[in-house]
Amino acid sequence: MRRPFVSSLVTSGLILLGLVPAVARAQEATIVSGQVSTRGAPVVGASVSIPSLRLGTTSDGQGMYRLTVPASTTGEVTLSVRRIGYVTRSVLVTLTGGQLHQDFVLEASAVELTAVIVTGLGGEIEKSKLGTSAQQLNAEELNTTRAQNLVEQMQGKVPGVQITGSGTQGGSVNIIIRGQNSITQNNQPLFILDGVPVSNADRGGDRGSGFDYGNVLSDLNPDDIQSLTVLKGPNAAALYGSRAANGVVVITTKKGANSGGRMRTELNTNVTFERPSILPEWQNQYGQGAGGAFSWVNGSGGGVNDGADQSWGPKLDGRLICQFTSPGAGTPGCTATPWVPHPDNMDVFFRTGLTVTNTVAVSGGSDRAYGRVSLGGDNVDGVFPNNDFRRRSAGLSGTFHASDRFTADGSVEYVYNSGKNRTGTGYWGRNPLENYIWLGRQVDFHALVDYAGKSGATNGGPPTREFNWNYNYHNNPFWLQEQNPVADRRDQVIGSVAAHYRITDGVNATLRTGSDIYRLGIEEDFARGGLAFIDQKYAGGFRFRNDYRSDNNTDLSVTGERRLSDWLHVNALVGGNQRREYFHADSQQTAGIVVPEIYNPANAAIAPTIGQRIERRWVNSLYGSAAFTLFDWWTVEGTGRNDWSSTLPAAARSYFYPSVNTSVLLTDALPRLRSRVFDAIKLRASIARVGNDAPVYKTQPVYIGNANKFNGQPQFSLDSVLANANLKPEITTSEEVGAELVMLRNRVTLDASWYHKSTRDQIFNVQIPPTSGFTSKFINAGEISNRGIEALLTVTPLQVPGGITWTSTFNFAHNHSEVVDLAPGVSTIVLGQGLFGDVNIEARKGEPYGTIRGNKFLRDSAGNILTSGGLPIQDPAFSVLGNIQPDWTGGWSNEIRYKSLALSMQIDVRHGGKIVSLTNYLGDYAGTLASSLRGRETDWNSPGIVVKGIDADTCALPGGCKPNTTTVTAETYYQNLFHIIEPYIYDGGYVKLRELRVSYDLPANWAAWFFGAQAATFSVTGRNLITWKNVPNIDPEFAYSSGNFQGMEYMIPSNPRSIGFNLRIVP
Amino acid sequence: MMTSRILRLSGIAALIALGVGACNSDTLTDINQDPNNPTSAPPGPVFTNAARLAMGRWLGGGAMDLRGPEFTVQHLAEVQYPDEDAYRRLGPGDTDGDFIRAYTQDLKNLQAVVDVGKSENEPLLWGPAQVLRSLVFSYVTDVWGDVPYSEALRGDSGAIAPKYDAQKDIYTGLFADLDAATTAMAGAPATAIKLGAADPFFSGGAAGWQRFANSIRVRLAMRLANVDATTAQAQINAALAAPGGLISSNAQNANFPWPGDGIYDNPWMVNFRTRDDHRMSNTLMNQMLPHSDPRIPVYAQPTVANPAVYAGMPNALTQAGASAYFTISSRPGAVFYGATVYSCPTCGARTGATFPSFVMTYAEVSFILAEAAERGWVTTAGTAAALYNQGIQASMDQWGVTDAAAVAAYLADTAIAYKGGTPGLRQIALQKWIALYTNGVQAWAEWRRTCVPETLVPGPDAVQNTVPRRYQYSIRELSVNGANVAAAVARQGPDVFSTRMYWDNNPTVAPTYPGATCGTR
Repeated sequence: MRRPFVSSLVTSGLILLGLVPAVARAQEATIVSGQVSTRGAPVVGASVSIPSLRLGTTSDGQGMYRLTVPASTTGEVTLSVRRIGYVTRSVLVTLTGGQLHQDFVLEASAVELTAVIVTGLGGEIEKSKLGTSAQQLNAEELNTTRAQNLVEQMQGKVPGVQITGSGTQGGSVNIIIRGQNSITQNNQPLFILDGVPVSNADRGGDRGSGFDYGNVLSDLNPDDIQSLTVLKGPNAAALYGSRAANGVVVITTKKGANSGGRMRTELNTNVTFERPSILPEWQNQYGQGAGGAFSWVNGSGGGVNDGADQSWGPKLDGRLICQFTSPGAGTPGCTATPWVPHPDNMDVFFRTGLTVTNTVAVSGGSDRAYGRVSLGGDNVDGVFPNNDFRRRSAGLSGTFHASDRFTADGSVEYVYNSGKNRTGTGYWGRNPLENYIWLGRQVDFHALVDYAGKSGATNGGPPTREFNWNYNYHNNPFWLQEQNPVADRRDQVIGSVAAHYRITDGVNATLRTGSDIYRLGIEEDFARGGLAFIDQKYAGGFRFRNDYRSDNNTDLSVTGERRLSDWLHVNALVGGNQRREYFHADSQQTAGIVVPEIYNPANAAIAPTIGQRIERRWVNSLYGSAAFTLFDWWTVEGTGRNDWSSTLPAAARSYFYPSVNTSVLLTDALPRLRSRVFDAIKLRASIARVGNDAPVYKTQPVYIGNANKFNGQPQFSLDSVLANANLKPEITTSEEVGAELVMLRNRVTLDASWYHKSTRDQIFNVQIPPTSGFTSKFINAGEISNRGIEALLTVTPLQVPGGITWTSTFNFAHNHSEVVDLAPGVSTIVLGQGLFGDVNIEARKGEPYGTIRGNKFLRDSAGNILTSGGLPIQDPAFSVLGNIQPDWTGGWSNEIRYKSLALSMQIDVRHGGKIVSLTNYLGDYAGTLASSLRGRETDWNSPGIVVKGIDADTCALPGGCKPNTTTVTAETYYQNLFHIIEPYIYDGGYVKLRELRVSYDLPANWAAWFFGAQAATFSVTGRNLITWKNVPNIDPEFAYSSGNFQGMEYMIPSNPRSIGFNLRIVP
Repeated sequence: MMTSRILRLSGIAALIALGVGACNSDTLTDINQDPNNPTSAPPGPVFTNAARLAMGRWLGGGAMDLRGPEFTVQHLAEVQYPDEDAYRRLGPGDTDGDFIRAYTQDLKNLQAVVDVGKSENEPLLWGPAQVLRSLVFSYVTDVWGDVPYSEALRGDSGAIAPKYDAQKDIYTGLFADLDAATTAMAGAPATAIKLGAADPFFSGGAAGWQRFANSIRVRLAMRLANVDATTAQAQINAALAAPGGLISSNAQNANFPWPGDGIYDNPWMVNFRTRDDHRMSNTLMNQMLPHSDPRIPVYAQPTVANPAVYAGMPNALTQAGASAYFTISSRPGAVFYGATVYSCPTCGARTGATFPSFVMTYAEVSFILAEAAERGWVTTAGTAAALYNQGIQASMDQWGVTDAAAVAAYLADTAIAYKGGTPGLRQIALQKWIALYTNGVQAWAEWRRTCVPETLVPGPDAVQNTVPRRYQYSIRELSVNGANVAAAVARQGPDVFSTRMYWDNNPTVAPTYPGATCGTR
């Protein structure tokens, strides 16, 4: 009984303040009130309105709403309620004065036509009126199981969106919507947070070297996200401007609502345990060495093969051999010890990761002002030793209705994100996993854990080195992780303030300014004895880097919405935007310091190399759109935008791009179509075009300064990229048609699209003959086209009222990418290279983006492998060996709910698409993988391998070519494969059991015990539980960065398998 | 009512338009001015950078010296991963990068200095740049044969796909380039702007550059001995007569001084710091050991197994075969490791990181003149025997050998003492090949011309039976300048290791040549 009292108190207070004049004179008014709820729980923040009277309010924390209709209005009106993520409900009510009670029960909706979704710059729209493809994910769908970050949380849920997790914890995630548009520039979508573009900049690693510091967007706390809408291409996104050609992900944060002055609290606690999901299969029969021989003296070649980091040594049969752990190792009195395998030496390295995340949020307010504040904390202990992550986030958002004309809202998110001791990626001395590819399989890693108090001198190695099993090429992996600090810290603030002014009914002006600002500091320290980067003469080295980035956007826009007659409704928008981007990076590094373990420029023995880079870009824009809805079933919308970008030459700076889309709700147009089978049929079509500007500073030739002085002298070098003063904007055009069907009384819904998009006049850096003095030139050329289909099918096979409900969702996407044209005379663009000049990932004319090209076996015309001396001959020319694009991707998710109990699971499928595995390539070379046992089943040189092929040496002899009969050892065979990458190209397809979750909704009174919350759910979750795949030894899903060079891995850890618990308390 | 709304709407639209219009085009143009890099640079810093890049490439730790020609010419052998040694990692994929960077880094930047210097009429700016440009062009053509020269380096003038010039024409052009630079520098007024400290070789001194230029000229002239003796003789005499003369002492050597500050260290030392792949080749050690060559302890270190023994190892073994030599063959000299301080007239007390690269030396000039004298092309420089002994002595001094008695004993060795005639030419060629240790491409070119030593044949695991006579063309050029590469291949021969280039094309004329079996396993 307390509620009405509070409510009336507030109302009287407002009346006293004279803020609600309409109420004050409502002697004969009709008071419409009621509750909005779903599944027994109130729906907060639903918009309840009488559109014909332009009256509206939002539901409060109890789901209650209350509308006062002036006495002058009577008769029958439509009362409707809308809430993002729910099906809109409308009822006819008759106004007679006095009290009128009307409750609403909403149905949650992901795909239904009637749902309201966030779209375009115009805000929210019923999906039935949308002429483009968009899919919205709500908080519940996103956060059922906790992925490492927000983007990965979308994995497998949206057809046409390909998301590749990094493998390294806290690492980069690659997201591609409907295929790559750009040959060499960015292919990642634009992210918009509450109307403000936010950065997803990336500092990834690669298969060569580096550390993967991940994407900026990973910092956002998923618990602060209300919904996430994917606008899949230029069609839906044309109004967002240049950066929208790759699609847009619109993120809406939780806002709070009128709670009648009560505080609402929500809590989400998550605890998960992680292990690597896939580990290579190693051989345990042969130890370190070459030619079957090994004996330790100093670990760098002083003994018999003791500098070799390969396992072509003696059989691990317990024979006595002097090893790095043997008593007296490194001295003539070394006591030989048994030569035995240590199959667990990789398990020893990893620990069980622990992730604990907590979010507490408080929201509430009155009908005049409300807000939400949240605090989040993540503590992640990584699967690598001494590797952990911390994240603290704080968000505040508020809305203030100053008058019935003026409203202001604002939000700020502050995130502090830090990583400690991330592991190096790729082929250099800082990747501890390299110790496993290049290894003596007899090495006992238990012995390496205890390096403290020992040094290289303990077993005959250099005294300046840490205790290890090899002093030529490797550092002790535990020492790498524990004594070489790597720290990164990102502070990010995303804030925006908007003022809305209702000029007149249906016409609103909004002025919004917002910034996304972050600073990323990275410190990489290299201790004495490390083999990567530093000069061995000195006591270590360091690399420091600071990035600062700010992206400010200011928009002024006016929207108008009016029903011009009973058959025509208009929705229009006109606005302008100014974008100012600023990026500043500085760095200093030195490969030599004086005093060990003081990683500070003051301690530099070699003058630190200092770097600095500044980038600025401004884009001014004007845009507008108009949507006409006829007879409530046919909508036609046109948009246009003109940009002026600083990065283009003055003459080409201004560019305009239009779009048109239409949708027809067929079942409303022809009501006869509505039958037992079809509840709703919607068709849509659109055509759009988006322009894009150039990278900064590409119109003028420059001399690039070298960060180092030579003997005190400065050094400059002419930029080897030829500048171009005649650049034009690049243009993406896209056509799309789609159908949305609702069938069998909402039990089956289907949303399907066909699209074709093409980006031409691409601004890219094309290779020119280097003998011209320049390696490349920025030009407008080339075209990539992507065409494809995607479908999302939701079925509810079982729906027993009050009993069991089973919802099953399938998504499917097929994209055909084609590099239609490159520059004149250019047939291929290399996107990335392997480690040894033997394989490339390329954009090749006439083929899908991402061709794998490399060396293969030389074969005769019948396809037989040609051998010489018993060994396959390498074809000297590069050949096309495959393509990284999958044939199709899909997902299948299910939720089975019985009363309070729910079981959900999601399976992701990637079918086809090749990958290059340098792990397998080098693991065979080094003789460490189980696959390298072939040919030495009996002993290191027996039975050997007889390559099935034609002995080319016989072809010159009388009698012609004969089959090869020469036996070679496995060692010779696998090492001869070096540079023949062909056998190491694999089918990258997989089926992953991505998510599995069992949840239980606690009784409502338990939830209420917690600060009056409405619902509480406890669940047990698992992620990346099972992977079915074709490639041996590695996880086919990997990404080092969000760059365009994908599809090639080297010893990247697999995506972690996580199992945990979750407690969610919903306000 | 409606009118006022329209007015208000128009007002807002006007405000928006004004807001955007206020940021006029000039502001946007200014925003796109690169704040990081200037649009013009002074010649000095561009010269320093280009010189450092070029020397790091042609006398450095990569595929154009330590990991390529030094194996091909069998000064060194590979003990850990014998791929380069077996010519397995000298394919176009491995050498492409250096071809590209020779043009885009070394040559283009030197060309930029030449262009600025000429436009400002400053011979002491463009002269040294033109000399160094000629040196780099000579390295490029001696490795690949026909390459772009006359149309090269002009991408900024729209010449994006240069033709490949015949090597004969390139040599003709280089002689003229060197001559023009020498003459211009000699005629420079006292007020001429100098490179000064930006010149790591001679601190901007014109005399040093003239001697360097004339010495390069005799080197290139002698390379034509088998195919165009007339030009060779004429150019040698022209160089002798050109202003400045030749390098005539070790103090005048063109050395590249590595600062050794941890950033720019001697590139061999940088390689040996982290890798242990190199050992002395039997081919070189077998020429030095029997005669107790005093340079042995400088060129090589004693074996790990026996500190009293210096030994080489065969080239191009299998991996297992090579690793057997790990402790019983010599690493390259301690001078590259910084373990011992050596002192020599040209390098001072420098070692390891600060050890200089020998670009053009008194020893090499002496051997060139000795050959010219033996051939009767020059008479003024001294007798062939005297010049031969002078070359050996210069090499000993250059490498810091101070034991005069040992040098005298070496000179008196029956195999070393000058014999004259064709045996004399062989002795000159052999001594030059020994003296050119660390200068892989020059040693390789001279071996191709003379076939001395004849013991230089591919190792047992090499992928082909003959020593490469060139490297293969750039993959990048093949893909983006294909027609011009094809024309070069049509003129020069198939794009393979065994194709002989212009100056290597008339072996029977070489008096030292054993015949077609040269360099064949």
